[in-house]
Amino acid sequence: MFYIRIFFQYVAQYMKTRMQYRADLFVEIFSDLLFQAVNLIFILVVFGHTNLLGGWTRDEIIFIYGFFLVPYALFSSFFNIWDFNERYIVKGELDRILTRPIHSLFQIVLERMELESLFGAVTGIAVMFYAGNSLGLKLSWADPFLFLLFVLGGMLVYGGIFIMIACISFWADARTSIMPMMYNIGNYGRYPVDIYNSVIRFVLTWVLPFAFVGVYPAAFFLGKEEWFLYSFLTPVIGIVFFGISILIWNSGVKRYRGAGN
Amino acid sequence: MDKYLEMIRIRFLMMLAYRTNYYTGILIYSINIGAYYFLWSAIYGEKDAIEGMSVIQMSTYVAVAWMARAFYFNNIDREMAAEIKEGKVAVELIRPYNYLGMKTMQGLGEGVFRLFFFSVPGMVIVSFIFPLQFSADLTTWLFFAVSILLSFFINTQINLLTGITTFFLFNNTGLIRAKRVVIDLFSGLLIPISFFPNWAQDILKYLPFQGISYVPSMIFTNSFSNNEAIQAIILQGVWVIILVIPIQILWVIAKKQLIIQGG
Amino acid sequence: MKDAITVRNLKKEFKAYSSRSGLKGAFRDLLTRNYKIVPAVNDISFNVKQGEMVGYIGENGAGKSTTIKMLTGILTPTSGGVIVNGMNPHRDREKFVSTIGVVFGQRSQLWWDIAVQESFRLLKKVYKVSDEQYESHMAHVIKTLDIEPLLDKPVRKLSLGQRMRCELAAALIHNPPLLFLDEPTIGLDVLVKLRIREFLKEINKKYNTTILLTTHDLTDIEALCERVVMLDDGKVIYDGALKSLKEKWGEGKEIEFQFLEEVELADLNKITASSEVKWEKDEKKAIFTAVVEDDDELISLLIAKVVAALKIKDINIKETSTEEIIRNIYDRGIS
Ligand SMILES: Nc1ncnc2c1ncn2[C@@H]1O[C@H](COP(=O)(O)OP(=O)(O)OP(=O)(O)O)[C@@H](O)[C@H]1O
Ligand SMILES: [Mg+2]
Repeated sequence: MFYIRIFFQYVAQYMKTRMQYRADLFVEIFSDLLFQAVNLIFILVVFGHTNLLGGWTRDEIIFIYGFFLVPYALFSSFFNIWDFNERYIVKGELDRILTRPIHSLFQIVLERMELESLFGAVTGIAVMFYAGNSLGLKLSWADPFLFLLFVLGGMLVYGGIFIMIACISFWADARTSIMPMMYNIGNYGRYPVDIYNSVIRFVLTWVLPFAFVGVYPAAFFLGKEEWFLYSFLTPVIGIVFFGISILIWNSGVKRYRGAGN
Repeated sequence: MDKYLEMIRIRFLMMLAYRTNYYTGILIYSINIGAYYFLWSAIYGEKDAIEGMSVIQMSTYVAVAWMARAFYFNNIDREMAAEIKEGKVAVELIRPYNYLGMKTMQGLGEGVFRLFFFSVPGMVIVSFIFPLQFSADLTTWLFFAVSILLSFFINTQINLLTGITTFFLFNNTGLIRAKRVVIDLFSGLLIPISFFPNWAQDILKYLPFQGISYVPSMIFTNSFSNNEAIQAIILQGVWVIILVIPIQILWVIAKKQLIIQGG
Repeated sequence: MKDAITVRNLKKEFKAYSSRSGLKGAFRDLLTRNYKIVPAVNDISFNVKQGEMVGYIGENGAGKSTTIKMLTGILTPTSGGVIVNGMNPHRDREKFVSTIGVVFGQRSQLWWDIAVQESFRLLKKVYKVSDEQYESHMAHVIKTLDIEPLLDKPVRKLSLGQRMRCELAAALIHNPPLLFLDEPTIGLDVLVKLRIREFLKEINKKYNTTILLTTHDLTDIEALCERVVMLDDGKVIYDGALKSLKEKWGEGKEIEFQFLEEVELADLNKITASSEVKWEKDEKKAIFTAVVEDDDELISLLIAKVVAALKIKDINIKETSTEEIIRNIYDRGIS
């Protein structure tokens, strides 16, 4: 309860500061849109040369991409901690965090949130509706609820992985570039994993389970029954990975060595 | 000239200090290449060739495009933005060197480092995992060498341009990000330019972006004839020269602005 | 009275990496790196009672900040025990930190981009401070620190002294019984320093707030603390009253004489031959200094002897300053 109240306090504060720089906000949303457009263009160009991609049609692939955008938008709004090492470890900002009576990770999530990324969810849903429409998909009463469940699961998967990577900074003192590159890998959950070889498929399912952010849950709405099991695993994997990441975080904070002045 | 060489050396040493970047970086670029390899294999399916490129040429294209990216890619636009915002540029300007030249040399130091510690070993590793095809022809390698050097300059010049815009825009992180996204697509890193619909190719012909990734990768995969290769390299060189103009103009205006506003 | 802070055999070690020189060294660093273990805080013990104001002093790199970070739960000790306000700072962190206030002079605790009062409001929620508590307590704090006019400015636009006063106010929003101040007066002008000192004295008196303070400005310590803990190279080398530090290591008194006539050191030595005294001469200004034990009898006897023998222009009795004492200790160590 306390945490929810605090959350809204921070959101209110965030709105106030962001509204002062409205032009920035538009540029940021625009560059997000551009990024999404580039990915759609890629899909369109590729399908200019083929009709099926590992057995999936163009609209199915577009639908998966649309779905992916929603948990990804939530993730980038709240777990945008790619600069955790520089900002909190090297500059020692974690000192400040640790003198406050709220869980340290939660405080960082609050401080780093970028709510404008939520706009991506709108794009995602629009893309899904467009693709679902051309595929003639029907919406049943349970779909919105499952959609929400899968989206949250996907967000937790993403969040969990990135928190774990951020935790590396507690153990290794050198800067690593894993974080930005992980964004690249994350993109492979957007494509049907059956086009990859079995090792990569395994990795994307169990090690860095990005497939649970895109193709697996989306397969449910596309009616691909052979994937249903994986679709329903989405929230489970999300909770497991996120839970583990919190445990690692908690033990990492104990090893925080501060920044020398 | 000495000081510019020194700058390359210092950057080189700095990069060495961040050693973990390279253990993980190569691995992750390989995964990246792998994913595109599988994607393209799926796209090719039963087909032998698309737009005159075989699957093997395509996977080589993907691999070399990414590994070359490690060489030409740099963040000097972001560094410039940070330096301008923190007011450090004013200090840089009174130093006895050309600021933009220095930034370019820093980028080159970084690039040379990544070429030896990232691209070359990465390419060797990737060639064990995926079926790639290396040319046995010395002229191809020669053309390629000239071509990636030019792509470094084109990319860096575009970065300098974006960096200078910090003088005129309140916050250009959005612009920098947008530029990066556009370059990845229009340079041919994600898809060879020849795969685009014709009307799009006609437009891209008149833009400098394909000189960044498409040209060297096509040369490397032997997808260009010698004649085409020479033409493409000349075009790259022309772009390097053309891009000097807007950079100089903007830089002069920016310096004036700096003097008026005091940074 | 119960102890606010109990520290037992506290130790903190850091791994210090060193890089080899030159290009070849850098390549070798790529594979293995040299490091050695440096103890920043080495087996220290002390207690602080509720309501005490303790000065924590020592040279640069002595380990003061590191100790404070362990006491506030930011760092985990390598070994040893810390009990603060009856809790283990690191283990019970979230509960513990609501009972302390922290100011790091070197680093801002406030949010950079937002107005000071927004920061305060957010912190008020974070520390679950009720409106009544906030009003009654903070109104006073804001008034005494004179930060009313700063409240609507963003932190990044404040000057150092303005910011520091706001930091102090922010650390007190929840009126904690224990306050840690790491170099709170660094870089401040005399007036701001005085104001901060007065303020600290006041809250100490009013709420019986315990204060642990590090500083390089010994006048801070003299103005505020009866007790000092001195750290050197990670070890406590002195823990006790500021007064007895002076008595123990103050090197007696210095009496400066200026004479109307030409005087030689030998003359003076002859005049005061029966007393324990050391004479020094400042050639340029013709000032003669007698260094004697701090004993009133001895001093008046000495002056009487000198005055009887020579014509005097000026006399000045000087006590060795704390600054000098501390400098001596840093220089020579405690022996
Ligand atoms: N994060 C860290 N990593 C490695 N060594 C550290 C770290 N923090 C402090 N040290 C080392 O520990 C020792 C004590 O540092 P500390 O900051 O506690 O000193 P201090 O007494 O606060 O000094 P100052 O008066 O300069 O603030 C120093 O030798 C410092 O180099
Ligand atoms: Mg310190």
